[in-house]
Amino acid sequence: MLGCACDRESRIENRILTFAFSRILEFKIFHLLSPAFAMDALIAKADATKPLYKKRKRTHPSDSKPGPSQKSDKTSASITKNTSLPTSLRSRTDKSADAPQYKHIANPKLRRSLVKTSTHIAQSQALLSDAIDLLPSEETGFVQAEDTMERTWRLSQVDIVKEAGGEAARGRLEMKLDGGPYRVRYTKNGRHMAIAGRTGHVASFDTLTGAVHSELQLGETCSDVVFLQDHSFYAVAQQKYVFIYDRDGVEIHKLKAHVSPTRLEFLPYHWLLASVGTAGYLKYQDTSTGQLVAEHRTALGSCSVLAQNPQNAVLYLGHQNGCVTLWTPNLPHPAVKVLAHLGPLSGVSIDPSESGRYMATTGKDGSVKVWDCRNWKGAVREWTLRSGGKGDAEVEWSQKGVLAVGSGGSVNMYTSPSIKTPHHSSSQPPLYLTHPLPSASHRPITSLRFAPLQDILTIGHAKGTSSILVPGAGEGGMDTGEGLDLYEGVKGRREREVRGLLDKIQPDMITLDPEIVGSLAPPSKLTIHTNGGTGSSRAAEIPFARLPRAERLRVSGKADLTEELHSDAESADGSDDTRKKVDNEAQEKRKMRGKGKSLKRYLRKQRKNVIDPAAVSNIFFFLYPLGFTVIHNLSPCIASVAIRAKIEKQKAERKAEIRKAKYGDEPQEKSSALDRFKRVSKE
Amino acid sequence: MVKISVLQHDLSSHTATRPGDPTPVSRNLNPLVHPFSRARERTRALNAAKMDRMFAKPFVGALEGHVDAVEVLAKQGDSISTVASGSWDGGVIVHNLSQRIQMARLPQGHKGKVTGLSFAGDSRLLSCGVDCNVKLWKIGSDEPVNVFPGKYAFNSIDHQRFSSIFATASTLVQIWDETKSAPISNLTFPTSTETISSVRFNLSESSILASVGSDRTFTLYDIRTGKAERRVVMQMRANALSWSPTFPTNILLASEDHNLYTFDIRRLDAPSLIYKGHVAAVMSCDWSPTGTEFVSGGWDRTVRIWQTGQGHSPEVYHTKRMQRVTSTLFTTDARFVLSGSDDGNVRIWKGKASERLGIVTARERAAVEYRSSLVDRWKMDKEVGKVVRTRHLPKPVYTANKLKNTMLESKRVKEERRRKHTRAGESKPKPERKKVVLVEQT
Repeated sequence: MLGCACDRESRIENRILTFAFSRILEFKIFHLLSPAFAMDALIAKADATKPLYKKRKRTHPSDSKPGPSQKSDKTSASITKNTSLPTSLRSRTDKSADAPQYKHIANPKLRRSLVKTSTHIAQSQALLSDAIDLLPSEETGFVQAEDTMERTWRLSQVDIVKEAGGEAARGRLEMKLDGGPYRVRYTKNGRHMAIAGRTGHVASFDTLTGAVHSELQLGETCSDVVFLQDHSFYAVAQQKYVFIYDRDGVEIHKLKAHVSPTRLEFLPYHWLLASVGTAGYLKYQDTSTGQLVAEHRTALGSCSVLAQNPQNAVLYLGHQNGCVTLWTPNLPHPAVKVLAHLGPLSGVSIDPSESGRYMATTGKDGSVKVWDCRNWKGAVREWTLRSGGKGDAEVEWSQKGVLAVGSGGSVNMYTSPSIKTPHHSSSQPPLYLTHPLPSASHRPITSLRFAPLQDILTIGHAKGTSSILVPGAGEGGMDTGEGLDLYEGVKGRREREVRGLLDKIQPDMITLDPEIVGSLAPPSKLTIHTNGGTGSSRAAEIPFARLPRAERLRVSGKADLTEELHSDAESADGSDDTRKKVDNEAQEKRKMRGKGKSLKRYLRKQRKNVIDPAAVSNIFFFLYPLGFTVIHNLSPCIASVAIRAKIEKQKAERKAEIRKAKYGDEPQEKSSALDRFKRVSKE
Repeated sequence: MVKISVLQHDLSSHTATRPGDPTPVSRNLNPLVHPFSRARERTRALNAAKMDRMFAKPFVGALEGHVDAVEVLAKQGDSISTVASGSWDGGVIVHNLSQRIQMARLPQGHKGKVTGLSFAGDSRLLSCGVDCNVKLWKIGSDEPVNVFPGKYAFNSIDHQRFSSIFATASTLVQIWDETKSAPISNLTFPTSTETISSVRFNLSESSILASVGSDRTFTLYDIRTGKAERRVVMQMRANALSWSPTFPTNILLASEDHNLYTFDIRRLDAPSLIYKGHVAAVMSCDWSPTGTEFVSGGWDRTVRIWQTGQGHSPEVYHTKRMQRVTSTLFTTDARFVLSGSDDGNVRIWKGKASERLGIVTARERAAVEYRSSLVDRWKMDKEVGKVVRTRHLPKPVYTANKLKNTMLESKRVKEERRRKHTRAGESKPKPERKKVVLVEQT
């Protein structure tokens, strides 16, 4: 019979899941051996492989014979022996230990999947950090002084070019142009550059090959230029409107909504072109759909300073009154507004090397400030410009965190640790490099741009542009998927464009904290638990709206907690009491502000007549050591104090009892690191 | 002396060495190089969810041929393409799904409705009908090989996979042998006076038999002992049942109260899960051979595909012309679903609505898998979840669903209020699963 079953099985085993058939076979074997009835056999078999419940409630008369109980699943044991990861490949430390456990989430299924996901994330982050540490990355440039007396800023471009040699030396480039002061812009991969002269000379070219894509003489004032998603389109802020040209210089669009623009920015992941102009309006235009997404009135007058934070796509505007405002498309008002300088702003830049944490500003008051964007209370470091604020000072961070400040006739470069550490005096931080413009006729410096993925800084000035070498400025590692590839081909660019369009982030999702997407909402402060969460089920099911008012206030955190504070004060020892009392009074005072309603005042005064338990407990503690035992004769306040003391004592006794019941008689010892070596008695 | 190094990229490692070569791909793992990675992934997940809905074209085709409503469908256990359907006019058709041809056509198989069909080994088919006959057919011939006359109108038939024994359901369950013209044994619960509407053998323990009947019962029999072992009386009657192919103790019931229930026969006092979704009586159900999903068809003119263990939000299939679904079937390759309905058609649906038929390249499959994992990861997101959950329903189903929800809600509120106004602790809310079974008898 068994052979027959096997024969049948082999005939059709391709068709249906083998699992079911292995079961069939198992059951058939079982039948041959067991005289029990089939149904009980089925149940017994199912119970043996996977106990459904801890305790079976029902028992059947036929099951009275105790069968062999299998504690462990033989099948899975046999599998794990051969399928588990060898010990050499297992990770030493459990990376999932620091993953959140989501204990506050009630739904077990959801909790399990969340824990699974966060464990996975923790593991992959650990792997990522391993990879960053272990994998060889492309080296970055540097300047190393061998002697402590040597100063890196003494190095001239001639020295650097001589040392760099080869292909890198070709980055040093002077372009003499007579289109007025120039604005410069690079594409995301740093290969193509666009320049726009004040008089209307606009050109875009390939910096590696030197091939000019287009050159236009627009014949009107051009104040800024920006590449769109790649070098095939660029937008120019002209006298009246913003125009978009393609690679060959053909005018594609006239954006009439952007009136008399002064500065442009392109947000690559949101496909938004932002402009700000003399009217002081910040406008966002979606370049993939052509819609004007948002239009914000800054109400701070003409604006000519605009920068984007590449990590969260927030736009930073610098205004005439010395304010820096942070904008997102979904807020009609600035997300942040800081008075940064005593005078008009002339330059803003955000450090891309530390996830957009630091901002540098320059003002016409002749100072440079570095700000920590998480704490706007004051600048981290500030110093005065050597030129003393004559003319506009430009500022720009590189990918690796080199800060370039261009003012007067020179560009100064500073490196990271010194400019980001708080410093009290307004002295200059140590210079990294400096580069003077060839002559006074080159002034003013109107634009500073670091080339991505290269150690090049391009200065736009009155006589054209000059590219200088700044070792250690550029990111070394390329990334093809993100378009950070200097040698990206046509196919790759097209592919990336399509992918970028598919992954376009909606403008509404721009926030100061980009990590908010996909994170859990913080647990609500409103709970329906009225008595500390562990109360009776009946109290827990009363909805918030039906709670008494006092409870509602307590739940929403608006209740008057002075009574509870008093009880706290009373439980503390006497030395702290006076301080706490002062605190309470201060709090009371603070509470009073703006609450001048007559009824409230009345109630407050009423409350003042009530004996302050905290104050009274002071007296009590004062009296108690002196031997006042007959308290009934004293004033009622002392009596109430005595009752309180009694209650306290009872409470303490009860606590001690509970502790005793929990841990036994011996006092709870603090565990020490040596505990693990203790011999544990085995029972 | 100052040491200076300026960044230089190696051109040869970033460009293809020969014209035909693919461009080398470089990766920078620094997270600063990948801003908005979460927001972009969410966008991708949203797009993936939308694409999944866009590609959801579940209807594959209809198999015509019956002149009246299709009553019953049966699949051949060891074939992925052979399926038989029986109709109210007494006709039986054996279809070949892959070629969409009729392998056999018996227009007058029975007098009156064909109520049960079951394949009996290779190319043989058992059918029963209200004409009190069970007929054994050889596929391809027009005359029955054998006729087993009975006393009562049959309602259902099921053949054991690996023997010549089959069971019929009428007012009692009868066990037959193909070689004998009279039933071997009659199985009935002692106090039962019901009409059995469906009977099925357990797939792995083939002497176990389950039936559902019109007196709201679900009964388990053992043909070795020759008697009914257990019986469960429920709130409402079940219309169909199906044994799980992978967990032999699990059984699925399609109930008249719009729900489906899975029972573990080790514990019959409550169903292990309730599957809620239909807005009218569920008429049929069938497991996928993988045991991870099952299909059900209902009086509400919809076919629904459920994931095992998820008692809500099934996949819903419907068309304008499909009427009451009387029978449903999962094909043996777990990819397709069949439904027979009152309009006389047998319809073929995809098991997974957005699955692409035909050859799928490795890249395509990888993309589909990536998309599905993205959706799975982001389904808690409000927008993504909405796209994933939302299904268009025909207006009658939609309004019926709304009405049903209103009624259930008002019932719940009423119950709650009643409980609040009784003495505390006197009446506790009863879990939904405990309400299903009225009594369990042995």
